[in-house]
Amino acid sequence: MASELTLTVNGATHVVSPAPETPLLYVLRNDLKLTGPRLGCGIAQCGACAVLVDGQEIRACITPVVSVVGKRVTTIEGLPAVWAAEQGVGQSDAGTPLHPVQQAWIDEQVPQCGYCQSGMMIAAVDLLAKNPDPTVAQIKDAFTNTPPSPHLCRCGTYAAIIDAVRRAAKAMKA
Amino acid sequence: MPVSPDAFRDSIISTALTRRAFVMAGGALFVSLGLPRGLFGAASGGQSAPDATSPSPIASWLEIRDDNTILVRTGRAEIGTGMSGFYAQTIAEELRVRPDAITLLMGDTDRTPDGGYSAGFLTGAANLRKVGAYTYQALLTLAATQLGVPASALTVTDGIVAGGGKTISYGQLVRGQQFDLQIPVTGKPAKVDAAEPWGVSGLDGLVVTGDPPLKPMSEYTVIGTSFPMPGTPDKVTGKTQWSCDVTLPGMLHARMVRPDALGSTLISVGALDRKQFPAAEIVRKANLVAVVSPSEWEAVSAAQSVAAGTKWTAWTGLPGSEGLTRAIRAHAWGKPDDSRGDAASATAAFSRATKTIAATYEQPYVRHVPIGPFVAVADVQRDGMTTVWTHSANSQGIRAQIAHMLDRPLERVVVRWLPHAAQFGRGTHAGDGAEADAAILSQLTGRPVRVQWTLQEDFAWSGASPGWLSDLKAGLDADGRLLVVQSAFYSPHMFDSRMLGAILAGLPGSASRPRNWIATEWPYDKIPHRLEQAFGMPNIAADSANGGLRGNIMRTPGQRQQNFALEGLITEAAAAARVDPIQFRIQHTTDQRLIDVINATAKAARWESRPSPNPAARRTGAEPVHGRGVGIIVRTNGYWVGIAEVTVTPATGAVQVTRFTIGVECGKIINPRQLDRCMKGGLVMGLSEALKEEVTFDSSRVTSTDWSSYRILTMAEMPEIEVVQMSRDDKGFGAGGEAPNALGPPAVAAAFFDATGVHPRRIPLTPSYVKTLLNGGARRTSKSA
Repeated sequence: MASELTLTVNGATHVVSPAPETPLLYVLRNDLKLTGPRLGCGIAQCGACAVLVDGQEIRACITPVVSVVGKRVTTIEGLPAVWAAEQGVGQSDAGTPLHPVQQAWIDEQVPQCGYCQSGMMIAAVDLLAKNPDPTVAQIKDAFTNTPPSPHLCRCGTYAAIIDAVRRAAKAMKA
Repeated sequence: MPVSPDAFRDSIISTALTRRAFVMAGGALFVSLGLPRGLFGAASGGQSAPDATSPSPIASWLEIRDDNTILVRTGRAEIGTGMSGFYAQTIAEELRVRPDAITLLMGDTDRTPDGGYSAGFLTGAANLRKVGAYTYQALLTLAATQLGVPASALTVTDGIVAGGGKTISYGQLVRGQQFDLQIPVTGKPAKVDAAEPWGVSGLDGLVVTGDPPLKPMSEYTVIGTSFPMPGTPDKVTGKTQWSCDVTLPGMLHARMVRPDALGSTLISVGALDRKQFPAAEIVRKANLVAVVSPSEWEAVSAAQSVAAGTKWTAWTGLPGSEGLTRAIRAHAWGKPDDSRGDAASATAAFSRATKTIAATYEQPYVRHVPIGPFVAVADVQRDGMTTVWTHSANSQGIRAQIAHMLDRPLERVVVRWLPHAAQFGRGTHAGDGAEADAAILSQLTGRPVRVQWTLQEDFAWSGASPGWLSDLKAGLDADGRLLVVQSAFYSPHMFDSRMLGAILAGLPGSASRPRNWIATEWPYDKIPHRLEQAFGMPNIAADSANGGLRGNIMRTPGQRQQNFALEGLITEAAAAARVDPIQFRIQHTTDQRLIDVINATAKAARWESRPSPNPAARRTGAEPVHGRGVGIIVRTNGYWVGIAEVTVTPATGAVQVTRFTIGVECGKIINPRQLDRCMKGGLVMGLSEALKEEVTFDSSRVTSTDWSSYRILTMAEMPEIEVVQMSRDDKGFGAGGEAPNALGPPAVAAAFFDATGVHPRRIPLTPSYVKTLLNGGARRTSKSA
């Protein structure tokens, strides 16, 4: 029988009782109602389900929920609070600004259908944490060659994503 | 009571503005349908017939409220190309309001009036433009009465009417009152109808008729600006409710257990281990098998376990993707479905030609493959009331299909639309998807059911864009000018709108007819003679139990495939004439719009005039060779040019597109930034098709069932893209969301020829195919005489 697990997601603590091998994605979406991460391939080939675990991108569709116990999980819903904490300002009040990556995604009008973009923004936050001022070549490399798979967009928003990552990098340095 | 109907007499015959009531609070103007008498009654079998004199039971198009907000309703949906922004801009322009004053309600069959497919801007915008124009005239009439100033002396800015030194807002005009404006429409409601080529009528939805005065394009202030897409902030912050997010009390999650081979039928369902999966249940109807559970992960795991023990009949009947061309060739072709030009004059012209080029072009099956597989939720209640939550691009059509399948009256079925991964045409004709599965399972279980297809299932079972075979022939005169072009296009069915769930469950579905057609909008009017013929055949393995490889349209359908072959032939002819391929194209058209955008794009690409191939072209060696090539397409009042620059490494077969310049003139540009996004995104899809995409299958089943076996372009493979946009006020609106994808393959193929001296007549240009091609091992069908 499923036992209770304690998860820390977007700064909040949740107690859930899924079957232990349940992938994190299903718990986030169905139990915690965090629908930013979405099911794409279910086999870590596309990136639509990406979330941050202790600041590193992982694919929630293949990550057993038990493996993130004791770690910090962040979805796009939690990015404004992450940014607020990094800036040392209070979080989760109505005035919390968006994470610069989210703001850049709006300013550059990145989404077409938008289905993959949650994962794209997670990848961008991960990249900018490691490389605050990436070149176009480095952005292309990060979104394509970082294991376990490229981040895929069928609408073909790659050019807009590159523009948005560069815009976010500028905003985060300012 | 009527409000000065004479005001409409000159320009609008059949609108009627009435004041329904005075109200204590609020107030609004509702714009609804004036349906011709009997239109719905005749078409939907006894349903009560609203007409121009009775209140419409159908939702209004538009509501102007006393707080100056405006609600616009359309049955068309946002499929990822920006309709939600363009529609708001279009209405705002005609009403003279700011676009952010408008809230758009899309796609719900019970809350929107018009229906129709969501494949493009033009038809939907034409409706909303007229809705806005009719409403504007009605508002002027109201304002003229209220202000005591003739309508001709009024001006409107941001929803404030001014005249005679006085002003009044739209909100104030309707405050305390309830007005009803009926506008004339025509059209067929959606219905499963064997008389329709694709089996479901009402593709265009209801169309607003009449001729209200439209704002001149030269006076536009909203259209032509980069108004941001209204849905973007919610998509970026995680607030959007997508169709995959719908949850209902008591809802079951389902995973389907699909047949082993494409034509298999069920022998026995595998056992369900109740200890391991205590809440799961097997649900079955004929060959439709599913496992449901209140827990999604249990449904996933239990379905895998049940599938492993489920037995299906063995089946072979596919030609294998390697044998596709042979299979298409072997079909007993009859007369063409569609034909243009004159056979006798074409034959005569060939006899005068001094040089003839004949070539066969091949394209494989490709798929839409949005990042999110099909998903739907259905709630079929005991009293028959059925609600389906979907992201279909044709809500009224899928509603009609569900009603037909369940044998329910249309008015007992509601379809609610929500955003999801883009469609690229696969939902246009109201087939396919998880909707039928969900409705059948909900009826069988008596519970709301959410069906999530897996990626593998989507890649194997969704309708695919069929492979093509094109036999083309060109004749040149002694001056190197084209005298004649002859084309024959052969393709399996691409309008199969049947729902997979209905097929597998043995329930009633729609029936479409295989039909091919000439989709090309002929750009080369200076070629004196031509004969174009299009031949259609049924699905591959159509006679098998589950309908074979079901064909569906995909972005720039038909024309994408035909244009690849036609532009390939033009590139070959230019080379035979030893003329620069851009110059050669300009030599064969008088269309100045096309010539202008070709020249502008060539300039942006820094094109240097010379014939192809490149003097340094080479087909062997480990060092890369470089080439550049051009392709054009004319589609729905849009003129497009693509210039590809490629690097080919003969030893490895690797092709990299290093730079691409894409130019368009599509009349009045609605939203330059969104058009830029559509151009680049569509092009990425086109380059993906040129270099990577092919649905593969063996004799039993599709074998390209995930992203490692059906590959698409990644960010690193995307070239530097330069965009050229030309807008003009005198040619109306053209299509901007389609066509860029159709530019990729011909331009890349031309650049490949420039680099290597070898014409690629098949896509995708994968490394293994390229190596075969450069070694001279690929099928060579070109003959020069």
